[in-house]
Amino acid sequence: MNRRPMGRVGLVAPVGLALALLPLAVHGADNARQIVEEAQKRTDAKSHRYEGLLQVFDAKGNIGDKRWTFERIGAHGNSKAVLRFTAPAEVKGVALLVVNHPDRASDQWMWTPALERDRRIALQDRSTRFFGTDFSFEDLEERDVNQYDYRLEGEEPVDGAACWKIQSTPKESKSSQYTRSIVWIRKDTYSIVRIDNYIKDQAVRRLTYGDYENVQGIWTARQLEMADLRRGSRTRLTLDKLAYNVPLKDDDFTLQAIRRQ
Amino acid sequence: MTRAAAVCALVLWTAGASAQTMTQRGFLEGAAFVYPQAASNDDVRLVSEFLAREEVFFKPAPWIQFAGGVDFGASSHDHVEDSWRLDFSDRTPKRPRLSIRRLTATVTRSRFTLDVGKQFIRWGKADIVTPTDRFAPRDFLNVVDTELLAVTGARAVGQLGQETFEVVWLPRFTPSRLPLVDQRWAPLPALAGGIPVVDAKTPLPEGSQTGLRWGHVGSAIEYSLSFFDGFNHLPNVDVRTTINAELAEPAEPVSLKTVSAGSALIVIRRIYPSIRAYGVDAAVPARWFTIKGEAAYFTSSSPGTDQYVLYVLQLERQTGEWVLVGGYAGEAVTARRAPLTFAPDRGMTRAIVARASYTIDPNRSVAFESAVRQNGNGVYAKAEYSQARGQHWRATAACVVIAGSEDDFLGQYRRNSHFMVALRYSF
Repeated sequence: MNRRPMGRVGLVAPVGLALALLPLAVHGADNARQIVEEAQKRTDAKSHRYEGLLQVFDAKGNIGDKRWTFERIGAHGNSKAVLRFTAPAEVKGVALLVVNHPDRASDQWMWTPALERDRRIALQDRSTRFFGTDFSFEDLEERDVNQYDYRLEGEEPVDGAACWKIQSTPKESKSSQYTRSIVWIRKDTYSIVRIDNYIKDQAVRRLTYGDYENVQGIWTARQLEMADLRRGSRTRLTLDKLAYNVPLKDDDFTLQAIRRQ
Repeated sequence: MTRAAAVCALVLWTAGASAQTMTQRGFLEGAAFVYPQAASNDDVRLVSEFLAREEVFFKPAPWIQFAGGVDFGASSHDHVEDSWRLDFSDRTPKRPRLSIRRLTATVTRSRFTLDVGKQFIRWGKADIVTPTDRFAPRDFLNVVDTELLAVTGARAVGQLGQETFEVVWLPRFTPSRLPLVDQRWAPLPALAGGIPVVDAKTPLPEGSQTGLRWGHVGSAIEYSLSFFDGFNHLPNVDVRTTINAELAEPAEPVSLKTVSAGSALIVIRRIYPSIRAYGVDAAVPARWFTIKGEAAYFTSSSPGTDQYVLYVLQLERQTGEWVLVGGYAGEAVTARRAPLTFAPDRGMTRAIVARASYTIDPNRSVAFESAVRQNGNGVYAKAEYSQARGQHWRATAACVVIAGSEDDFLGQYRRNSHFMVALRYSF
């Protein structure tokens, strides 16, 4: 169960793809795997940090805001991330530690200050919604390009921008709530602009990337919107104070560390 | 505790001076409990409580952090002391009106962490009954709605790859806070009818407590082995009849107001036995459920103290908007010596326990939990609805039903079924 539709890019994690306008169509841009590898390569950073605003909408409008801080360290596939809620007040201090692995699903632990306990998020539980948002625990993972098989399905513009349309399928050794995903990657910047996640033949979640900005040389989406197509709800994540290659220590990404407020 | 207050004030002041490294959280909460039935020793049907809490975390440097927290409480039913002193030890029969909830310095060097001060220490993985959780006394003034009490001491943790080694040393014992003898959560036997009951002053153990724990976190299994050498925060209970009020040495002098000289008294004393506990806990994610197990074997050199094994096996699953936990808690007594104990952990054993919660939307949730003794002599069930509004408010309503026979741990509270409403403002 834990795989993300795209090679690396954690949905909530770095969402940027590298500065483009370089020789893009090089080395067989019609090779789906190479496209994804290039997209991943262009977001390489030793670490990054941002403050996120989560806005959950149902059919009637905005029904709740949450804020978190997000820190990530390490290379693609081997990274670690800590996400800690800062608002609303009643969930302040709740933290999620995600330890990604290149060859298997990530390990995840949740720290709940009110209980003074941590709890491992089991694999079979990761299709559930994360804190009432439209992101699932699985969507918070960062997965390596090698964990999926890819197939180029053609080209299709998104919001007027020319894109490659690529299908990614979790490899046999993996398990995921999603049977497959369709990913749209801009041809000019190698930026992911949309991911449709399927369970069997039904599209269940759609992640849209927007408000791209070049941050320290990395094209980064400042706004992500995850829509639960079955519930009709959506969650918008807005990234603020984002910075790459910030000084972070590996020791701050442990179970002991997330217990510190 | 003037010194503690000074340290707390220093932490809070310093934190204020450096807002960039300070975080805080707190809340104001009012709650009301409505009991449809009067108890034999308590005819109060409406109990209201108020709690204000503020916690501040201050990190002046990457390697050190201070944490301080203060509680202010009030109660309509004498759960809170009248005194306005600032309490540090949490050892009084009633809740302090003003207390330091936590006060800790945490030093981190690489994979080594040292916590010193008043802090919360949780062991174990199970949720229903936690046999290895020996450094976690609780406030049992309401037996089915408890809160953790912090302990004072030092805790060192070293992490080496997937292994974690933990050493705990507490120089000062913190007991659980027990139900007040003149209130409904301390049901009295029928033979007490008419005879005043006195909660006698009980000397608390003076020695230190230690604990060792080794934990392993693997991809397929997490487990821990633990050892505890100290005192049980839940007491044996000694009940005697006397005719001399002077001998009773009540913990609360007010209890003797109605006792005339020379009249009979039932005197209750709590004895906190020394115990050793050898524990193991594990969590195994399986295909459909996470399987969690926890067990501890308790021995004691104190006379009149049971030796026993507590164990729990539970299954856990999140699916859709549901979180489901269910399992069985058991007990095997290897040496029965104690005539009477107050032991909610043992009282919840030999029972099937389940909990289910459903998230309706980001602001609303419902939860159900129950414990049913395998012999059917005790049943506890709770249904709860909770709704948040905006960034700060949350309202909660709950209904608790308790049934069973008088000689069962759960059944003895059969007149304590109640409704609860609470309103919390978090900041």
